[in-house]
Amino acid sequence: MTFELRARGIRKSFGGVDVLHGVDLDAVGGSGLALLGENGAGKSTLVKIIAGDYQADGGQIQVDGVGYGVLRPRQARALGVAIIFQEFQDASTLTVAENISLGRIPNSHGIVSWRAMRDRARTILDQLGVELDVDRLVGSLRVGERQMVEIARSLSGSARLLILDEPTAALSHHEAETLFEFVRRLREQGVAIIYITHRLDEVTEIADKVQVLRDGATSLLSSVADTDRQRMIEAMIGRRMADVGRPEAPSHAIGERPVLRWAGAGSGEAFEGVDATVRAGEVVVIYGKLGSGAAEVGESAFGIRPLDRGTLEVSGTVASFSRPFQAIDAGMGFLPADRKAGGAFAVRSVAENVAVASWPRLSRFGIIRDSVEANAFGRWRERLSIRSRNDPKQAMGTLSGGNQQKVLLARWLERDSQALVLIEPTRGVDVGARADIYRSLRDLAATGVAVLAVTSDYEEAVQVADRAYVMSKGRVAAELSGTDVTTGQLLAAAGG
Amino acid sequence: MPDDELSGGVERAAPDPLETGSATSEELVASTLRTADARARVSLPETAALFAVLVVLVVFFSVTSQYFLNGPNLINILQNTARIGIVACPATLLLISGQFDLSVGSISAFVATTTAIAAATSGAPFTPGLPLWVAILIGILAALVVGVVNAVSVTVFRINALITTLGTLAIFRGLTKVASDGQTVRIEDFGDLGISRVLDLPIPVYIFAGVVVAFYFLLRYTTYGRSMYAIGASPTAARLAGIRTDRAIFIGFMLSAVFAGLSGLILLSQVGSASVNAGLGLELSVVTAVVLGGASLSGGRGSIVGTTLAVLIVGVLGNGLIQLGVPSFWIDVAGGVLLLVAVGFDQVRVRYSGSGG
Repeated sequence: MTFELRARGIRKSFGGVDVLHGVDLDAVGGSGLALLGENGAGKSTLVKIIAGDYQADGGQIQVDGVGYGVLRPRQARALGVAIIFQEFQDASTLTVAENISLGRIPNSHGIVSWRAMRDRARTILDQLGVELDVDRLVGSLRVGERQMVEIARSLSGSARLLILDEPTAALSHHEAETLFEFVRRLREQGVAIIYITHRLDEVTEIADKVQVLRDGATSLLSSVADTDRQRMIEAMIGRRMADVGRPEAPSHAIGERPVLRWAGAGSGEAFEGVDATVRAGEVVVIYGKLGSGAAEVGESAFGIRPLDRGTLEVSGTVASFSRPFQAIDAGMGFLPADRKAGGAFAVRSVAENVAVASWPRLSRFGIIRDSVEANAFGRWRERLSIRSRNDPKQAMGTLSGGNQQKVLLARWLERDSQALVLIEPTRGVDVGARADIYRSLRDLAATGVAVLAVTSDYEEAVQVADRAYVMSKGRVAAELSGTDVTTGQLLAAAGG
Repeated sequence: MPDDELSGGVERAAPDPLETGSATSEELVASTLRTADARARVSLPETAALFAVLVVLVVFFSVTSQYFLNGPNLINILQNTARIGIVACPATLLLISGQFDLSVGSISAFVATTTAIAAATSGAPFTPGLPLWVAILIGILAALVVGVVNAVSVTVFRINALITTLGTLAIFRGLTKVASDGQTVRIEDFGDLGISRVLDLPIPVYIFAGVVVAFYFLLRYTTYGRSMYAIGASPTAARLAGIRTDRAIFIGFMLSAVFAGLSGLILLSQVGSASVNAGLGLELSVVTAVVLGGASLSGGRGSIVGTTLAVLIVGVLGNGLIQLGVPSFWIDVAGGVLLLVAVGFDQVRVRYSGSGG
């Protein structure tokens, strides 16, 4: 019998905030549904309700004609619903075989049967067409391989509905291709697929239907053949927006001499022979997939990853930073990819988050006054259109991702940094706030700051770069500028 | 090593709930809103709650024991809590940055014994008979040595603070016994620091008050204090914001050692001799007070006002139980229970306020 799941009128709120107001969703065996939407649209909440991780406040879920008011995790699993999260939920110190059998390790009277466990793992991996040594530790696998193990684990309970929540976020292009092929094969075997993604290109790879959520309601439901990119974007953001446009050529002067200059730079296994420059007043992008070395080049400008070959010059002087504070003293600013762990102090005030890098200047004899910090925040709140209460004491963690990112930009503006390195500047930022950040970066460059953005998102590269370096396998594969910075060129240079 | 930089050398005890699992942004919005509410509601009432507990305890013991509520006994309580409070202030600073120091009790014994021996003219394994001020200087030097050992171990060798200070706890308690050959060492003419009174209050009470004010100011108004909060909130973010995290933590351990040493000197002065068991269990009282006072084991939060109130609660509770005739063995049990209760509260707080903030 073909698997059929029909969710009707699903409602859910968290702490008084309505996240879903009555959403319908159908998943049918042998078909793929792409679920799109901005951050906060309710996608993840919806699929977690279907997987039984959350209980809906209202609505009904029908599986194969049987109605359920709420689904419990165990029930959902028994019905064949499997969900794969972005973050790994595996045990990295155990083997592939153990992970695949986790929670139901074959045993007799509590004694593990390793043979049965290995056999089971091999059988499942063979079915999936994945070649992996089942005795390897999961922690030693590449990201893509770990994901396969996660999927294999969910399938060892014979899944009939597989939900994937942004599975390709951390995958290389090749790994993503393998994943698509694999998901398509499952689909042909009659498994229903729900696929959450941010990447519109992927919709056609996996899905025959597309459903877009906006503010907790369905804003588009269509077959993939009957819609296009523009309509999907409009449905996501709710207003017209030009598809991936190029920024205007800068009207201001670009500095003659580079503020940042790598010459034959290399660091460990991460990158090799990198020659690159960033001049005052321009926005340069280093585009590269995860593991291409792009992020590591950015980090080398901030004392996080020392160079062991070649040189880095900052404003004409050879720099050998081994600690971030040295880089900051030399006029560098840095926004890490992981904002929560490496950028924002969530529990501290927004004012302090802005002022922290400028404490040496703002304090006197080591004493810092609240009013001085509040002023620092006030200076940038308006200019960067930071959406917050007009309260410098507001906790950073209460701001949205995009606004937190603007606060971090303000941190370096307040510090008067001459060069700014941003790693994945809009990861986890809504499309709307993204445009704000791009504009801020362009404005920043217009004031004479050298801006270097490292990204694995080619659309981002096209939208923000005056000039772009493409990195692949630790080397600069191409340098593009002006009208050459296109999705096609970027992808071609990155090796697909 | 570069990877360590990003993953952060300092480990958090409790993971940030905002980071774990697969929190979607809608959860984030919801949970951060809750957090904001919770925080607004929590911080002031928390201090008020501690104050209320203190008042309730005082009233309770005043009613149940005829010996509790009188001038000499209250001064006695202050005198005893002063030694704990002087150590609890730097301990609060350390815990805010996510570190702690279990070696404080051993440091106070080590300093007291070193000082006593340096000044000794008889009755000790060595009798250098140095002038008192030189002996005190040597004692403070001894505290600095332990501080450096702790700080270097944590910031240079990246050994977890728990393990480091558990090690130095044993090492310096042991060295105290070695140096004194297990004997109690007397000291002459060193009563001023611990016993002399000004306006009826013993000097240590004034020292305690001074330390409280100094650390309140340090944490609230200096970039150093604020950087300790930042380190506790996110060590990696602090490093990437240009804070010299290792140096800040280094200073924290030095402060802890120096004030533990001061506490040892006060004890030496009060008792007139240094025993090998001096300051035994001080770390337990200090950690109990700091956590009860609202500093989180996961770092990033804590206040001197809270710690001060908690130190007084611990002191009143101990004294009151003695006045009620509870055997001292049971008072040890009560101390342990109080610690677990305090940590339990911390966990509840972390859960409800989202991120240990």
